[in-house]
Amino acid sequence: MSYYFAIVGTQDNPLFEYEFGTSKQGGDGLPHFSEQARHMNQFIVHSSLDIVEEVQWGGGQMYLKCVDKFFNNYVSCFITGGNVKFLLLHQPTMPVSTTSTRSSTSIGANPTSPQTEEAIKNFMLEVYENWVKAIMSPFYRVNMEVRSPVFRQRVAAAGRKYL
Amino acid sequence: MPPSDYDSQDGSGSLPASPVAASISRVQKARHTLNDVSPSLFRSEFSLPYRRSHPSAASLYASTLSPPASRSQSPVGRPPSRIAAGSIFGAAPNNGLALASGAGDTPGDPLNLILRAFVPHVAVYTSEDTDILLKEKGFNRGLWELLRPFGERVQGKVIIRDSNGSSRTYEDYSIHFVRFGEGIVHPEPVTAGLRPASTPRTNGASEKSSDPRRGQGIAISDVEAVVDRHLSYAEGSFFSLAHSPANNGLDIDVPSPYYALYLRRLLSGLPLAPHETFAHPVACVIAISSRNPTPIETLRRLYTESSTGDRRLPNWVDAEFLRYYVLVHEEERDDITRSMSLFDQMKRSLGLHCHLLRIRGTQSVATDDDSIPLPRSEWMSAAEELADLRRSEDQEDFEDPTRYIFESDATAIRTFIREMVTQSIIPTMERHVSVWNDQVASRRRGLAGRFVGLTKRWGFGSNPRSSVLGQSSGSNYDSLGFYRQDAAEAIMRKLADYAFMLRDWKLAHSTYELLRTDFNNDKAWKYHAAASEMSAISLLIMPQNLSARSRAETIDTAFEAAFYSYITRCGAPYGALRCLALGMELLRLRGGSSVDSAAKWGIRLLESKILGPIGDALIKERLAVCYASKQGMGTHLWGGRRRKSALWSALGAEAWVVQSKYIQAQRCLNEARKTYSDLPSGNGIDKFNYASAFLLGIGKQLNENLESGGRDDDADSGDESDVVDEESEALDMRGRRISTLGVPGGATGAGLETAPLKAQLDASEEQDTGEAKDDFG
Repeated sequence: MSYYFAIVGTQDNPLFEYEFGTSKQGGDGLPHFSEQARHMNQFIVHSSLDIVEEVQWGGGQMYLKCVDKFFNNYVSCFITGGNVKFLLLHQPTMPVSTTSTRSSTSIGANPTSPQTEEAIKNFMLEVYENWVKAIMSPFYRVNMEVRSPVFRQRVAAAGRKYL
Repeated sequence: MPPSDYDSQDGSGSLPASPVAASISRVQKARHTLNDVSPSLFRSEFSLPYRRSHPSAASLYASTLSPPASRSQSPVGRPPSRIAAGSIFGAAPNNGLALASGAGDTPGDPLNLILRAFVPHVAVYTSEDTDILLKEKGFNRGLWELLRPFGERVQGKVIIRDSNGSSRTYEDYSIHFVRFGEGIVHPEPVTAGLRPASTPRTNGASEKSSDPRRGQGIAISDVEAVVDRHLSYAEGSFFSLAHSPANNGLDIDVPSPYYALYLRRLLSGLPLAPHETFAHPVACVIAISSRNPTPIETLRRLYTESSTGDRRLPNWVDAEFLRYYVLVHEEERDDITRSMSLFDQMKRSLGLHCHLLRIRGTQSVATDDDSIPLPRSEWMSAAEELADLRRSEDQEDFEDPTRYIFESDATAIRTFIREMVTQSIIPTMERHVSVWNDQVASRRRGLAGRFVGLTKRWGFGSNPRSSVLGQSSGSNYDSLGFYRQDAAEAIMRKLADYAFMLRDWKLAHSTYELLRTDFNNDKAWKYHAAASEMSAISLLIMPQNLSARSRAETIDTAFEAAFYSYITRCGAPYGALRCLALGMELLRLRGGSSVDSAAKWGIRLLESKILGPIGDALIKERLAVCYASKQGMGTHLWGGRRRKSALWSALGAEAWVVQSKYIQAQRCLNEARKTYSDLPSGNGIDKFNYASAFLLGIGKQLNENLESGGRDDDADSGDESDVVDEESEALDMRGRRISTLGVPGGATGAGLETAPLKAQLDASEEQDTGEAKDDFG
């Protein structure tokens, strides 16, 4: 299971990008994307903004769950009050058959199960907390990239903790 | 679009033929440019860097080189003014199709393709003397070859009564002529369990020696090969011109000619298979010529051969199709009074389904006064067109395959076909539909019908799982893998197909629905797949609104069942491809949330890996169109799918570049750039460094290849710089500088996996964030 996490500003501009792998079930915490996936991840995340813009008006929730699927890539979204989108692309190692009746409880194997949704929600909330703290900096302007190493570390820690 | 542009017969008339004019006109719409340029292609002085293909082979590629709307060679002639095809954006979301308003009037339109693919097939069976007559006239393959192009558009209005007794008029009815007994695909005996896709067929062993997929009807590889040749030809031709392919935009209403060709070849030459009866002959034209010394005896002999002799069709084909007797009278050599009396005799002894066709026996050439070119058949099968194209490549002295016929002959044939269709074929089909509907299908509808179904299911086959297929006494499904022609299921399938061909979608849909459950109970998987496919398609064509829920319940399950049965249970990738491609097109036309559903099936098709490289790229391109046709709401166009559309355009460009189809790639890339630059944010994908580098990489690769391939590249490179200018302008407006414009590829950020954005720091910004960083720390 590999993850690509991007925070996208209001002008479709990435504010923060981070790739990591699962730490559960003996995962090494490193991303296992192919070389080609590097640009594809960006394309996919960007294209799923279309869906996010539609779904965000549906309910009052900030966590929009899994919004999009592109072949074997699933995109979950969390949207902040400032219209900044947290997009998490997760790619299970094995292709998931949608018709499978046996729902596995492991996060890695089943990207749409309630357990996974919950884990991603926890991850998003923790990132959100750190995000609010980071952008409270008086020198931060809207839609500026966040390059704080502390923030990066905290996102990595949240990833290790929940995913 | 003025239709008069396309009316010149030979395409070389008043159009600007010089390259200068062509390059000026590149700002115009793509179709116009194509039309303007192509005539000059065929002038000899431009043939320098030509591929080895002979200029006379150009007519083989006319279907994609000329714009799809310019069927000026049509034997009937197009109506002078075409109603503009209903725009996606004009229609309310989730609207039904307006069949009556001419939504499917565009020749390349997918809906129109579907309507004209599933039409009555008429077999042609002729005596030897007729073949000789036609050979002297220049048609080596007999009367069939002469009639075929005319069947593709029946002249005038055709009135069809549906099962409720109300009449509807259609202007665009067509039939397909086939050679009698051709294209038969035998079923395979039922074996237990699932079989893998690559199982070799047990029958037709002699045919499959060269190609394992021959004898299975349409091979996807043939379709791919045909489109590939068309594409290569276009590449070769455009490089010899000062032509910029850059202005070909993405048109939502008109599909790209290659995609239209792909679909058409996919749907043409439908095999005579047991699981669907579209290709089963509705009628058979039995023809003799006026030279025949023993006319009545010959007709009787031909009839006997076609129904009981060794030429008869397999026992899963209904043998009760209409016989239509034609006397071909040769104007020049034979006496008309003798033919007239013979014709009267025919009518007396054979009934009213007779026609006297008067044609001239000599070959017509282009220089004759009253000669018109016989258009190439649009619905020739992929294998046939491929053979033609191969021949044109192999032979140096390939002659122009265009045939000419006399105007009077064309008129006679049109009258003949019109009369046959309106007076014989349509009434016969209507009668069959009403009889079968009353006698077979209505018994199965309603409460009693369900009871019959249940008895059959539970009364006879009490242990259906353990019994071997075909041996359960309640089932008509033969152990050889088909229903015999007189089984109730076979008749109902014919009823449904006839209703579909007569455009009575409601009756067709309800009958397919009945059949689905029957076939499912009998485990007749190929039948089940075909019935599910047509059930969903007929429901989608029906002009009524579908709620999202009913769509998910009926259409999606039907496509799912069809796809699964075709792929997993039968190993029939052709069926799966056809089913999903058509489903995608019809769902797209419904607009609204159906577009997402359409895209889902398109992606499913890509995932299934049944497509070749050409089909893969075409479907990617089509997905871009599909997403682009979903309209957003409000000023920000929320709910649109523009980013997704751009993504698929980019993927399409990548797929074309890999196959060295640079013109198509350029088209897709420009489309992707345009869609990205139209986004409200103004940034497009530029802020994502790897993705924009990927796009630039493709653009660079295209520039190199188009420059090396082209002779005069001013147009190309000019366009390229235009595009780049446009990009940097957009960026300047944002007050930012992006270094990827200058630095190609992902080299900038390659070493910085965790923080790729750092690679593109602007000096001032770095200062900015440096300060910010201090504060964070």
